[in-house]
Amino acid sequence: MKRTWPWLLALVLLSGVAFAMGSYQNDVYRKLLLWITLALGYNFLFGIAGQVAFSHFSFYGLGAYSVVIGITYLGWPLPLAILVSAAFCMAVALLVAIPATRLEGFYLALATLAFAQLFIVLLNEGGQVTGGTGGLANYRLPDMAGFRITGPAYTVVIVVLMLSTLAILLRLDRSHFGRACRAARDNPEAAAAMGVDVRRTRILAYTLTSTLAGLAGMVYAFVDNTVNPTIFGLENVFLLLFMIIIGGIGRAAGAVVGAVLLYLLPFVLSPLIGHHHALVFGLVMVLVVLFQPKGLMGVWDALLARRSPVARNHVDKGAKVQAHG
Amino acid sequence: MAEPTPLLQVRGLTRRFGGLLAVSDLDLAVYPGEILGLIGPNGAGKSTTFAMIAGAIAPSAGEIFFKGQSLTGQPTHAFAARGIVRTFQHNKPFDSMGIEENVMVGMHTQIKHGLWQVVLGTAQARASERAARDKARHWIDFVGLSEYAQAPVGTLSFGQGRLLEIARGLAAQPELMLFDEPAAGLTSAECGRLAEIIRGIAAQGIAVLLIEHDMPFLMALAQRVVVLNFGEKIAQGSPVEVQSDPAVVAAYLGQVKVGHA
Amino acid sequence: MNDFLELVVGATASGCIYALVALAYLLITRPTGIINFAVGEWAMMAAFAGVVMLNQWDWPYPVGMAVMVAMMFVVGWMTERLTVRPLVESGAPPLAPILALLGMLVVFREAISIGFGPDPQAVPAAFGFGRLEWGLLAGSYQSFFIIACTLSVFAMAWYFFERTLHGKSFEAVAIDRRAAAWMGIHLGRVTAVSFAMGAVVAGLAGVLAAPNVSAHYLMGMPLAIQGFTALVIGGVGRVEGALLGGLILAFAEQMTVRYAPVPPGLAMGVPLVLLILFLLVRPTGLLPAREGRT
Repeated sequence: MKRTWPWLLALVLLSGVAFAMGSYQNDVYRKLLLWITLALGYNFLFGIAGQVAFSHFSFYGLGAYSVVIGITYLGWPLPLAILVSAAFCMAVALLVAIPATRLEGFYLALATLAFAQLFIVLLNEGGQVTGGTGGLANYRLPDMAGFRITGPAYTVVIVVLMLSTLAILLRLDRSHFGRACRAARDNPEAAAAMGVDVRRTRILAYTLTSTLAGLAGMVYAFVDNTVNPTIFGLENVFLLLFMIIIGGIGRAAGAVVGAVLLYLLPFVLSPLIGHHHALVFGLVMVLVVLFQPKGLMGVWDALLARRSPVARNHVDKGAKVQAHG
Repeated sequence: MAEPTPLLQVRGLTRRFGGLLAVSDLDLAVYPGEILGLIGPNGAGKSTTFAMIAGAIAPSAGEIFFKGQSLTGQPTHAFAARGIVRTFQHNKPFDSMGIEENVMVGMHTQIKHGLWQVVLGTAQARASERAARDKARHWIDFVGLSEYAQAPVGTLSFGQGRLLEIARGLAAQPELMLFDEPAAGLTSAECGRLAEIIRGIAAQGIAVLLIEHDMPFLMALAQRVVVLNFGEKIAQGSPVEVQSDPAVVAAYLGQVKVGHA
Repeated sequence: MNDFLELVVGATASGCIYALVALAYLLITRPTGIINFAVGEWAMMAAFAGVVMLNQWDWPYPVGMAVMVAMMFVVGWMTERLTVRPLVESGAPPLAPILALLGMLVVFREAISIGFGPDPQAVPAAFGFGRLEWGLLAGSYQSFFIIACTLSVFAMAWYFFERTLHGKSFEAVAIDRRAAAWMGIHLGRVTAVSFAMGAVVAGLAGVLAAPNVSAHYLMGMPLAIQGFTALVIGGVGRVEGALLGGLILAFAEQMTVRYAPVPPGLAMGVPLVLLILFLLVRPTGLLPAREGRT
């Protein structure tokens, strides 16, 4: 964390490849980076803070739709649209978090599920503002100071988004806040006895991760230059959930592995099983929960432990699949 | 000689559960640096009193003053911030974290820098983290867990888990530490070590309040004892005084008539 | 007025479907504490079983229903044995079975979508598509059939829980799993039966609803949400709560569609808004659990 050069190196490498790829590959790469960004945030909320929430994609959509509505329907300049959208996402997140975090475990999941569905209903019925079931299209990223950011240059923007999200979440995880989130999840009674304001911690975790999802949404809006309700529905939330559990819950590396695997695998598998990769993922998810709850990272740890006696003493920092309450 | 001011002053503390009066009009004081034992037969209201002083449940009536400030109506997490820290009778570690991190959670109220500094990775935030880790190691050494510091929390024995509870509590820099039957489930060797630790804590000026059923353990350790029965205080004094108090003997033996065995 | 009476039968029938799904949840949640979202997919699977047996193979309705019940019993039992039992026995955290079931939800849905394709398929009604007029109330044969079936199922469920020893053992497990196990109640059996019965009831909901809405591989999730909303409204503590919740939800929905000046699409939001409201304001539901229950 103290040294910035690994981050700069990552930025250069991850951006560099964008310029070496064709436009189709760039498109896949961009979406992959966005999925990784979302998975990182969701992993923090679900795997570290222990909140079973189905609203992550809704904030992704909220960010996307609000920035587009800002520059088209409201005709604002891009910087203003971005600021207002970010504030809006944060406000909605707080509005949901404050009552929802009073609910225990699965009731929180239900409330966020209902919110997610309600969001889709509102998008579908939003008439002119949201473009209804067809969504919004025919817009593009406004030129910034005379420059048009397209193609691989926009991919760099997404790389920056992903690395920033990763940096923020890693720092939060390794801080007193990360410990407070885990403590509030593992044992709220003991956490309160140690001075952790459990409610406030939960609200913060939810609001932070949801706002990050909203920011990612804003970046997403200009990837395909179209937004429509189906993208932000429950299907993708389940996929996100599968990603972090199959990858290894509670660990950033797990989120990355899960996202890369589950996003790219369909491309590889489609000759075999067409669009039905979800079937495979569902099965793998069940197998992971049954046999290796720590996911692929758990498999990796086990392999390492077998190779090296030093690694055997490694304290596993992964999270248990555990809901608070 | 002037009366020393109590660190903790409890007045008229009362707690009802439906129709049951668990604690009734209790007055209690704990002075800085002392070890106070709270005893009584089963159902006397010790655990309820403990829970109220720890901020885990709210009193039905009465006031709790700590360092002159009222704690009545404060949420549980405010108690640690003010300097009252408790351990749990049935160990409650944070299973997903290592021993060091468990203890570092205890330092939550000591952390002064905000989340912005965490996110930006400022020098202050990093220094504060390093200092927290050092302090955690110090407390782990103090309770004697250092050789297990790298072990996963789930592999600790019950006695070691108890030590972790104590280290975690100490990390919160308490001025009053509450122990809920700390000797329960410990071997006699572990009890001896525990007594040493508690004396070491008091020696540092931290007041200790403990509930215990293990009489020899408590009587050897406590400087002052308060006895409850049916939710009321029936005696207080030094261990020797309390042990020969007829009301106390009667309460434990369940007899109205006082006599020699 | 006739308008409203027409509405009453239809809404009651819808409410019964929701109530059945809510009952499916309840049968599973009470003894195990597990919230099984896959009940929606179970309903969907039974609907497709109806497509095959009643439509494609043209079996008589009662035969098809009986086979469906047996089939769903097995599906529920197997789901519990394979994906839930190992987790419960190995002491996994309470979230684990719920996640495994979410995985199964997707598996069920995709399997049906592969087998039957994306288009809606027809399922025959029990007595055809005629209409019945009964006093002031009027509705389709199917609506009355749904109501009759639901009332019978609920009567049986009520009797089971209130009057039979087996039902009491379910209660015991609901109140305190560990204590019940120490008392010798066979936890595995109770759990397996609860899943099996939950699947049967969910399947019933699917087959009864399908003639009106058509069997479609995506029909599971909306049913799951509506069923859960009904459960939350009525309260998890009592069997009657599921029925009450279903009816309240259905009437709220239908009234909104018919009388409120909002576009019909927004009516889909009614169960969601109600769910959110109840979760925030009264998560224990309208009917309190009987004394001695959590």
